Amino acid sequence: MSGLMEYNGSAIVAMTGENCVGIAADTRHGIRQLQTVSCNRQKTFQVTDQCFVGLAGLATDVQTLSQLLNFRMKLFTLREERKMQPRMIGNMISSMLYEKRFGPWFTEPVVAGLDDNHKPFVCAFDFIGCLSTAEDFVVSGTTSEQLFGVCESFWRPGMNKDELFETLSQCLLSGVDRDCLAGWGGVVHVITPDEIITKKLKGRMD
Amino acid sequence: MAVAAVDMSFMEDPSIFSKSRYHQDDEDNFNLADLRACEPQAFAMAPVANPKSFCLDIKKSGEAPKLMDFMKGTTTLGFVFQGGIIIAVDSRASMGSYIGSQTVKKVIEINDFLLGTIAGGAADGSFWERHLNRLCRMHELREKERISVAAASKLLANIFWQYRGQGLSCGTMVAGWDKKGPSLYMVDDQGDRHKGNVFSVGSGSTFAYGVLDTGYRFDLTVDEAVELGRRSIYHATHRDGASGGVARVYHVHEKGWTKVIAGEDVNKLHYMYAAEKNLKGDE
Repeated sequence: MSGLMEYNGSAIVAMTGENCVGIAADTRHGIRQLQTVSCNRQKTFQVTDQCFVGLAGLATDVQTLSQLLNFRMKLFTLREERKMQPRMIGNMISSMLYEKRFGPWFTEPVVAGLDDNHKPFVCAFDFIGCLSTAEDFVVSGTTSEQLFGVCESFWRPGMNKDELFETLSQCLLSGVDRDCLAGWGGVVHVITPDEIITKKLKGRMD
Repeated sequence: MAVAAVDMSFMEDPSIFSKSRYHQDDEDNFNLADLRACEPQAFAMAPVANPKSFCLDIKKSGEAPKLMDFMKGTTTLGFVFQGGIIIAVDSRASMGSYIGSQTVKKVIEINDFLLGTIAGGAADGSFWERHLNRLCRMHELREKERISVAAASKLLANIFWQYRGQGLSCGTMVAGWDKKGPSLYMVDDQGDRHKGNVFSVGSGSTFAYGVLDTGYRFDLTVDEAVELGRRSIYHATHRDGASGGVARVYHVHEKGWTKVIAGEDVNKLHYMYAAEKNLKGDE
């Protein structure tokens, strides 16, 4: 089980701020643990205009699950003619993962979004769908232990979007510098009520 | 898959390891006891039923998870050319997927004219190469002549052969310039010893070979050779997850060795080489 979760390598972190939320991921595509194939694999996917899902773990399951999520979102919008809230998206992912309890998806997703009252929401799952919400930050991927340490030190409540961006970037870059399987660049999305700011990070390429 | 657990009962009474009240430390000023303690007959072994396979048994039985996971993952390379030998290494120590350090010294300066590199277990490599230093000095004192690279590498290979199968983990290269000119030997933990012109050892060696083999010619100038070594290490650190940190390049010549590049950040090299090709560097 753990071998498959480390086959590709990833680092995802999501943090809350004051009326804003951010999610950051590395962009390494590795195979057989140590070989690097490319430096621009997408691990964060936009599901609504105020919510992102980050998927860590086996790359093939990340791609399939992101496509499945996209399909379920569109079906929901067609049937119910309303936007899905981040908490709902979390519950939906939780059920999708538990559906495969005895033949699971090898991913550990992370949800980061703003609900209709502009309140930030982040949550993370294990690979069979246990949802755990947090008030401050969530991490996922092969670098999760390093990220826990660095986020615990740098997160503080009430950050605005610029401070959130800075904190997220520094936490991600410091965390992946201690992991062989993640890094090689990064991408950060900060979601505010007015806009979504996406920036690419220049990290260590070793 | 059940594996017989290793008998750890010797740990229950720690007093058997303590020195008795009447123990006297060796008064020998030459510390020969220290040197003799490196011989297999005198090297302290674990007091278990099968001391020789203790390390491998512990690893298999899973009783001490992570204890026997030595810091491996590296790229080291060396090649002979008209101006001597270039040795280039990275500086990352990785334990599985965790990066232990980005500033490790993987070239051991055995003496003023012999260099050794370490790949694999850092403790094994650095201890036995420092021991090799002592053996080389003893040879000099006895024979009134510098030891040849062939003999030095043979000494190291013989040591590894004696401990073969006991769990040492070390892939080294011994390089030097003696009466026969520049020589490069690759010695590994099973006692293999090969003389050659181009070697690369470590998890990133395949990536380094690609660049090294493309650019290698015997008649390179010293600057071109240093650049080739540096570039090969950079490419290996970019592709291999377990290599990284800084690139170090040494040059072995007739008068000994020189540290040409003490430590150049491979991240800086990445963007430098990308700029040369008019790329941004995030492809």
